Amino acid sequence: MRGRHTRRRFLGGIAGVAALGTAGFVQDDVTNVGMVYATGGLGDNSFNDMAHQGVQNAADEYDVAFTNAEPGSPSEVANLQQRFAQSSSPDYDLLCCIGFVQQEPLRRNAERFPDQRFMVVDTTVDADNVASYTFREQEGSFQVGHMAGLLTQMEFSAGAGETNDDAVVGFVGGREVPLIEKFEAGYKAGVAHADEDIEVRTAYAGAWNDPAQGQEIALSMYNEGADVVYHAAGGTGSGVFQAAQEVGRFAIGVDADQSESLPEYADVILASMVKRVDRAVFRSIESVVDDEFDGATNVLGLERDGVAAVYGAELGDAIPESVTESLAASREAIVAGEIEVPTEISEL
Amino acid sequence: MSYADTSRKRRWLLGAVGLVVAALIAIEVLFPANPFTGLAVVLLTLVTDPNYVGSVLRLTVPIAFAALGGIFAEKSGVINIGLEGLLIISAFTSIAVAATLGGGTPSQFDLWVAFGVAVLASVLFALLFAVVCIEYKADQIIAGLAVWLIALGLAPFASKVIWGQVNSPPIATLNDWTVPVLSEIPFFGPVLFDANPTVYMLLVAVAASWYTLNRTAFGRWIEASGENPKALDTVGVDVRKVRYAGVLLSGLFSGIGGAGLALGRVGQFIGGGTTMINGRGWIGITAYLFGNYNPLGAFGASFLFASLDALQIRLQQLGYSIPSELIGIIPYVTVVVVLAFVGRTQIPDAAGEHYDSGED
Repeated sequence: MRGRHTRRRFLGGIAGVAALGTAGFVQDDVTNVGMVYATGGLGDNSFNDMAHQGVQNAADEYDVAFTNAEPGSPSEVANLQQRFAQSSSPDYDLLCCIGFVQQEPLRRNAERFPDQRFMVVDTTVDADNVASYTFREQEGSFQVGHMAGLLTQMEFSAGAGETNDDAVVGFVGGREVPLIEKFEAGYKAGVAHADEDIEVRTAYAGAWNDPAQGQEIALSMYNEGADVVYHAAGGTGSGVFQAAQEVGRFAIGVDADQSESLPEYADVILASMVKRVDRAVFRSIESVVDDEFDGATNVLGLERDGVAAVYGAELGDAIPESVTESLAASREAIVAGEIEVPTEISEL
Repeated sequence: MSYADTSRKRRWLLGAVGLVVAALIAIEVLFPANPFTGLAVVLLTLVTDPNYVGSVLRLTVPIAFAALGGIFAEKSGVINIGLEGLLIISAFTSIAVAATLGGGTPSQFDLWVAFGVAVLASVLFALLFAVVCIEYKADQIIAGLAVWLIALGLAPFASKVIWGQVNSPPIATLNDWTVPVLSEIPFFGPVLFDANPTVYMLLVAVAASWYTLNRTAFGRWIEASGENPKALDTVGVDVRKVRYAGVLLSGLFSGIGGAGLALGRVGQFIGGGTTMINGRGWIGITAYLFGNYNPLGAFGASFLFASLDALQIRLQQLGYSIPSELIGIIPYVTVVVVLAFVGRTQIPDAAGEHYDSGED
């Protein structure tokens, strides 16, 4: 905590010094970026940390100074957005608003501050001064589903896991919301792409924060012969990895490369469906630096590496070449539009 | 509580069960293509599946421990609705201590030490609650809510201080205990003799609680302290002490439940939202109300709620889409029904009331 405060103060300091330094000289030398994170805060090993990574990358590459703000609750979001938008030292060139929670406050603030440029991740706000970035999660889920489908039919062992004779895979969702059903639909389509006859067992835990429930769900799937279980369930997903280790099978992570962020489970994580929030943040800052900012909606799919199946740090090398080649082929086909990935389960 | 009452209730219950069974048989005969037959087959395969019963027992542990704790507190006259908070405190403490002791890779010994410390933390928290309620005569419901809310804020905050985030990194868990020879018995072996240590602890705790409440002097004091504290006072037993003991026992049991969930199964503390406890303490309260303040009944109710939960996650996988939210409210609906129609007379007479021995 103290470390983060110091860091925040330090970063604020940098931003302040940079602003002072340029005042009166060439105004546009430094691009000032304000970051308002989602309520999970930094250190979540996924969403916010990736956004932070994105702005750091931008700072490494360009003359960018940034200030972080972590709202403790959804009610603080609007206030933080306003404070950044009103600030004149520095005058922020871009405010990055991370997460779905920003949508409503941003809709109002974008209207109130028409000269302020905003970017928002994971939701869309229809305004000329807001660039929205959303993801085609179904495409990345299709990829990991394809991999799970191919592997469950093989005799495969790596790290702490091995497959059995049954052609069964599983999916564990957090809550039954449209966003997560996109993951499920893509995953199921991917498995069917490998082979129509593979059984996909799916269940929703009803919570993002209940690893014990996630563990019991995954165990029941593994007991029914599942070789690979993919989760899109936040903290509940830790239980899926734990179950995979317990029975010696495989799991697939989500959002970030979880074999890196949860190295304790790297011996069962085949791959992760990564959502490149960092890339969205980086691109938006780049557009401001290059003076090409526009208030458009950007949908990032496999094509621009907005989502991707990233092989596990420990198990990735063990995955047979035939599988990785098939995956590369299906990726090409999705990018080329030859495979239509459904976004709803009813489309399957 | 009169025996006539109990037997009438039993008859009611039996009648209701009989009606449901008769209705199902009638449906089966009249409409052979109904969805219930498929469901019945699924159910039959499930209850004979050791994996399913094992899963139910594991899900029962935190709920039943919270319920046992609640029984002792409420029977002694102090309604402890802060059980959820006690579970959160002990779950967090267990992971924090284990991670500190073992530096990321705690040994089994470290885990058991952490388990003990977590139970102690829960007992201390319960002591705080007891002092506020018994010494300072605070409203028990409000103080209990405070226990929950404080834990709900404190645990994620403390994990941010320790790990810089609300979720801890994962650590090892307690090894299962396997009883040689007995674990080879079909069905019962894998369920009862190759299980998590917390499952054994629960079975012992349920039996011990029943014995204590029904066969010992202390059990009678607890009962009297909740039903008629003045009578207890008159025979020379300190009501305050008995109530302290009741509340501390609720801390002890909740502590075992919370640490058992965190160290026995998950090996991680998740502090987001309602934390990893996710309402198990509240379901514990409904379980002991449903079980009529009897440890065996509370265990049965916890087992029932857990088995519905375990059933629900399996039915989802078979394509019966029952929203998990709907299954989640079953305990609460049950308790409303039970309180309204069956268990009205069972709540201890003096529960929730402050007792002052010097008042006359």
